[in-house]
Amino acid sequence: MFSNPFFTDLLFYAVAGAILLTAILVVTVKNVLQSAVFLIISFIGTAVLYLMLHAEFIAMVQVMVYAGGVVIFMVFTILLTSHLGETSFTVKAPRMFIAFVFSVAFFGVMTKLLLKEPGLTAAVPHSENSSSLTSIAMRLLNIGEHGFVIPFEIVSILLLITLVCSITIARKDKGEK
Amino acid sequence: MIPSIPHPLGNLIRSVVPYPELAFAINAVIAIIGICAVAFGSAIVLVYMERKVCAHVQCRLGPMRLGFHGTFQTVADTLKLLFKEVYAPGGADKFIFYLAPMIILTSPFLCLCMIPFDYNLQVMESPVAIPLIIAVNGFGILGILLGGWASNNKYSLLGALRGGAQMISYEISFALLLLFIVMMSGSASLQEVTASQAGNILDWWIFKVPVIGFLAFIMFLVSSTAELNRAPFDIAEAEQELTGGYHTEYNGTAFAMFYLAEYINLVTTSALAVVCFLGGYLPPLIGIPVIDSAFSLVPGFIWFALKVFFMIWVYMMIRWTFVRPRIDQLMDLEWKFLLPVNLLLIAAGAVFISFGWIL
Repeated sequence: MFSNPFFTDLLFYAVAGAILLTAILVVTVKNVLQSAVFLIISFIGTAVLYLMLHAEFIAMVQVMVYAGGVVIFMVFTILLTSHLGETSFTVKAPRMFIAFVFSVAFFGVMTKLLLKEPGLTAAVPHSENSSSLTSIAMRLLNIGEHGFVIPFEIVSILLLITLVCSITIARKDKGEK
Repeated sequence: MIPSIPHPLGNLIRSVVPYPELAFAINAVIAIIGICAVAFGSAIVLVYMERKVCAHVQCRLGPMRLGFHGTFQTVADTLKLLFKEVYAPGGADKFIFYLAPMIILTSPFLCLCMIPFDYNLQVMESPVAIPLIIAVNGFGILGILLGGWASNNKYSLLGALRGGAQMISYEISFALLLLFIVMMSGSASLQEVTASQAGNILDWWIFKVPVIGFLAFIMFLVSSTAELNRAPFDIAEAEQELTGGYHTEYNGTAFAMFYLAEYINLVTTSALAVVCFLGGYLPPLIGIPVIDSAFSLVPGFIWFALKVFFMIWVYMMIRWTFVRPRIDQLMDLEWKFLLPVNLLLIAAGAVFISFGWIL
């Protein structure tokens, strides 16, 4: 993205460092709401990484779905279940040990799989237009051989059904008052 | 993707400065200064305007003492706010308490970057501008929720939860109405949405789609008033019930930031309404050659500012004339009326496009 690769590297390491730092803070901070805040910063960092790879649409979706949607509902839930946010919680040693084992195992498997892949190079930004809104839309709404119009319509009907169902559940019955 | 600044000034700096990175940095600084000037300048003007409009609706004079008709009143108020001591209430989560006003300011500034004030006067021309605006609106909700919780005050928490629920609900209508315009103009970039309304006044989206364009505009007014947390939908503040809602415990600069965010949001939402329904920076041509040629001489950003201030005036009149509904009535309005009508509206829009009923 910059003419000089030094600046791209600098930006990458800065963003990656911020993601790692906030991700560690998410699990170490004692307060659930503070974890949620750091989680958002971590998600936005990921969106910046997508932007560096010219995947504008994915970056936008990352901000919309994760930072703007999921975490806000998490915060809302924390606030509604009032005591979770007010008292700091502690994790007992056995649980900490199990979590540690799982994360080390996951890290080990991921590194093994990545190193198995031959010819591993740095991520290359894709060409400018391949991930634009227009090309994704053309692909999703295409009725030809490479189109995804049927899955797209089914997913949108599913979302509509969810919306209608939630209103129906929330609605007061006639007798209820 | 470097957000390039499509302004002659940006090109001039790119041609003069030898290193592209340095030129980018200088351009970025210029863009930041411009956005800050628009944001702070409009906030000061709008606070004064709000007090005057409110006063005249209520048959009062409003601020009159400081300067001509009280013009320096907001400057004095701002100075007073800035020199106050900032402190957090005891038992508050200080980190989140001070973070909340900063989070709440991110979304209005990001939106302001994407608004095309004129053909060349835009910080970031993005092909996904409208989805991006919908996405960053979430940070406003987050700021209210965190600020209300961190204040360690029951009124604040109640106000935050009510405001959060309201904004999440109305965001759906707000987004669907913006998507209606995306569907009509065939593009999510604000520059292209504006370009699709070129021509005379009947080519603006409010008139171009017969009847449902106007309907969509009215619904946009309702849902954006709720999204802005302004009266009559100021459930989050509701000073008669909640003593100020989520920013009860804030003072000094932190309170000023909440206040600033509210007014920049007013500007960006009005600007969005102008871009989507009222032809953006295009002059209102009415088909009479003499008047049209005179109107075309006026620069686009002046038309844009005039339209935006008209929209702001509409929002202010709505604020001072309607009464506040209860929270359950507010939720009923969104979930049982606006949302179904919105879905019908989008279906009707598809019918209008396929039958070619667009003027």
